[in-house]
Amino acid sequence: MLNRKKSWFVIVSIILSAALMLAGCGKSKSESSNSPSAENSPASSGQASEKASDSPKKDVTITYTIWDQLQQPAMEAIGKEFTAQYPNIKVKVEVIPWNDYWTKMSAAAPAGTLPDVFWMHSGQFTKFVSGNFLEPITDRVSTGKIDLNNYEANLGSIYTLNGQNYALPKDFDTIGLAYNKELFDNAGIPYPDDTWDYAKLAEVAKKLSQPDKGIYGFAAKMDTQTGYWNDMLANGGHIVTDDMSKSGYDEQASIEALKARYQLILDKASPTHQQMTDTDATEMFKSGKVAMIFEGDWRTNDIDGSDNITGKWNWAPLPKGKVKRGNIINGLGNAMSAAGKHKEEAGLFLEFLGSKRAAEITAEMGAAIPAFKDTQGAWVKSKPHLNLQVFIDQASEAVPYPAGMKSYPVWFPKEGEIMSQAWGGAISIEEGAKKVANMMNQAIADNK
Amino acid sequence: MDMNSRSKYAWAYIMIAPTLIGTLVFWGSPAIYSLYLGFMKSENFGLINHWVGLDNYHKLFRDEEFWRNLRNTLYYVVLVVPLTLVFSTFFAVLMNTRIKGASVYRVIFFLPQVTMPAAVALVWIVLFAQDFGLLNYFLGTHIAWISDPRFAMYALVLVGVWGGIGFNMLLILAGLQNIPRTLYEAGELEGAVGFRKFRHITLPLLTPTLFFTTVILMIGATQIFDSIYLIIGKTNVALPSVRSLVYAYYQNAFVYYDQNYGAVMVNILLLINLILTGFQFMLQKKWVFYE
Amino acid sequence: MSGNRTTAVRKTHFAIHLILIVGAVVMIVPFLWMILTSFKTTTEATQIPIVFFPRHPSFAAYAEVIEKSDFPHYYLNTAFSALMKTVFPVIFSSMAAYAFARIQFPGKTLCFFLIISVMMVPNAVFYTPQYIIMSKLGLVNTVTALWICSLISPFATFLLRQYFLSISKELEEAAILDGCNPFQIYRFIMLPLVKSALVAIVIIQLLWTWNDLQWPLIINSSPEKLTLSAGLATLASAFYSKYPVLTAGAFMAVIPMILLFFIFQKRFIEGVAFSAHKG
Repeated sequence: MLNRKKSWFVIVSIILSAALMLAGCGKSKSESSNSPSAENSPASSGQASEKASDSPKKDVTITYTIWDQLQQPAMEAIGKEFTAQYPNIKVKVEVIPWNDYWTKMSAAAPAGTLPDVFWMHSGQFTKFVSGNFLEPITDRVSTGKIDLNNYEANLGSIYTLNGQNYALPKDFDTIGLAYNKELFDNAGIPYPDDTWDYAKLAEVAKKLSQPDKGIYGFAAKMDTQTGYWNDMLANGGHIVTDDMSKSGYDEQASIEALKARYQLILDKASPTHQQMTDTDATEMFKSGKVAMIFEGDWRTNDIDGSDNITGKWNWAPLPKGKVKRGNIINGLGNAMSAAGKHKEEAGLFLEFLGSKRAAEITAEMGAAIPAFKDTQGAWVKSKPHLNLQVFIDQASEAVPYPAGMKSYPVWFPKEGEIMSQAWGGAISIEEGAKKVANMMNQAIADNK
Repeated sequence: MDMNSRSKYAWAYIMIAPTLIGTLVFWGSPAIYSLYLGFMKSENFGLINHWVGLDNYHKLFRDEEFWRNLRNTLYYVVLVVPLTLVFSTFFAVLMNTRIKGASVYRVIFFLPQVTMPAAVALVWIVLFAQDFGLLNYFLGTHIAWISDPRFAMYALVLVGVWGGIGFNMLLILAGLQNIPRTLYEAGELEGAVGFRKFRHITLPLLTPTLFFTTVILMIGATQIFDSIYLIIGKTNVALPSVRSLVYAYYQNAFVYYDQNYGAVMVNILLLINLILTGFQFMLQKKWVFYE
Repeated sequence: MSGNRTTAVRKTHFAIHLILIVGAVVMIVPFLWMILTSFKTTTEATQIPIVFFPRHPSFAAYAEVIEKSDFPHYYLNTAFSALMKTVFPVIFSSMAAYAFARIQFPGKTLCFFLIISVMMVPNAVFYTPQYIIMSKLGLVNTVTALWICSLISPFATFLLRQYFLSISKELEEAAILDGCNPFQIYRFIMLPLVKSALVAIVIIQLLWTWNDLQWPLIINSSPEKLTLSAGLATLASAFYSKYPVLTAGAFMAVIPMILLFFIFQKRFIEGVAFSAHKG
């Protein structure tokens, strides 16, 4: 019943024309209200403007949507440089925060209003491909416009499904241990280094904590990629089994790792989950209330930009676990919408985003570790006073983000909801982990 | 005459057309479509739909979380509606005493109503904070108002009552000002003062206004969403203790991509609203006093 | 005797003032805290013991809000959709309400019932289907989507019908003799009589639209297509616990309506009170 697009248009136009008629006999009250609505007309007359975009010389603005406002300046710089090459194509960078990003994108996708070019995440990728919302770029790859060998190992393959390529590697990220040098110095404890293991981390965290002053050794935050996923892997556990058929949350090693992290809260070596709900753990680190925290390399600029901490902190590798050094590596991609109105221009921009020049801008501005080969050095040098090399070094032993699952978009948001129950003390860690496992297994079964 | 009434009909239809068509298109058909969605299962962004009968409802009724959400919603209504009514009536009566500066108070009390709930929510987060919150500072407590399952509901109730007093106070004040002064004078002659005056003269005459206010408050309170979304948030341990049906609907329909399961939740909410309102109108005969 | 009475009155008035002042303070504290926090640094805002007044009040948080979000668009979109959602419902509802109140026509009860019954339905019931409609029309993530579903108002229709019913018929009868058609009677005779009711509708619609969060949150995603309330929600997602930034954004979002309220406070208060009379 809702498919009859035309009848809807008729009804809407009846209402609108009735409104205009009335405005005519009333004292032109709504005259002013008509002009702004013209501004919206491109949206409502999508088909019409599609034809217009056939001529390539026409001025076109394409939208590039990202989720990290910290990277906005770098992405805008790339857009500017692209416009310098193609003066008729302007790039508008839009930020939708991570917490809302996939909800919004999933609402936009079936409506055909995805942005022209946007950031893709390895976890979400399969779902968007299955809805045919991403424009395949296989042709560009096979004709040599894009060479996937330009990118660091394996990153090119993340966004390949059934032999089709759907996104270009943008960057990769790993996790590090950020520490507050001042708090270490005051306590006379040497800084963390690559010899550290989890026992050492817990030991030092306890030593550094002064709960009565509101200072804690470690932020045992409830988080996945920059939190306990690393712990679970280091302890020999899994997020999902290697064949992706089952959750790894209920493995003994995973539960043990989760418990160890939670223990730091019980030992008052970490703020409570409630405190970290009131104040973001990384904000606490920035204001010197937390001595150590796991964070992703992408937060470097943000942390270093805070007056309280700049010059007083550095990065170290994550501690070693019982089995290995756990670290999640993830690669973001740039993808384009299959329903875009300016696909030709978007394609050109996508190619530029995958170019060495774009990688260099990303690196120099310290926005992210570029995926393009041999450009990571520039990123490491973007903040010479920080040991950014740890992120590159850890990449080789890191474990890829659990990608390629159709069920990920379903279980991921639910995971946080369940684990927050455990972290807040409403249920035990073991119970939480088992609940997550059940929920994930159900989601995996439902989304084959 | 016949011709005349026919043109009259035509005019009537033209005049109701925008409202009628708009209602049917944008509100009526969606309401029916929501019922229909409840019997379907959609896959892949709603590109594939198939009929599953009552499956979604079966799942819902077996879902502990749903019952908890329902209980939360009703609990919120049961707390917010009477508290708002009592405070609103109390302040309205005080302001109706012809004291100086009543209009200033009226403006101040109405202020929360002209501030966006989304904006106010962001301030409440700070006020409720466990360590640095103003509320704990004044009460001398150390309660995690919004992240302790035992207290979060009361925090939301506080926000709800705070935001609702101004509007409802004005409605009640208007009702009070409709009560003829002569009735009070007559009552005073019979020795009714203070609370007795309120109990025996004001209250009965105020019941129609209170009835109207209750109905509006209740419909609003059953739909609580904003403050949960903004103040409580997604990874708060207290979320299950305050999650309302509308919030659960939002999560299911737009975060977990299960439109059908979301639809059955709001369909149940619709049923509840109909029952509550029907109940109100039945009870109305017992306590509302019409002249 | 009379002296005693005056002191008694004075005493009660004093008590009443006291209670009302306490109430007023409670009402105002969140605003004060909003303003104070917005001038603090993040550290000051989360410090223990509490810092009441920022040591070095700064506009940094405001600068960050302006730089990192799209407030000009939030203002424009909110104002524009509020305009659409007030002007059209007032026109359409008053027209329909007049017809329902005064013209006898076949199907009247049914039509009225259809319109009124929508009032009983919680908004959330409409969102998914309305989203699907917008999606089919290609209107997801457009400014149009913010207001297109709300050009009519069953509530206003109901309220105005009550009001029209209470007006005496004599004026109209004269106009009918003069040969006016129903629309002319509505437009030139009845409408001027219900001005205060229309103002009430405008105010109530304005407050509802201004405050609406859930629909813009669902339907739009681009920053430049958001309203103030959805923009604030986005700000909260992006800045999580940077409270000075959040409160600065909040303050910027509430200030237009508060100014409007102070300028037209009498109309606001009368408008709300009006709906009580006819309810």
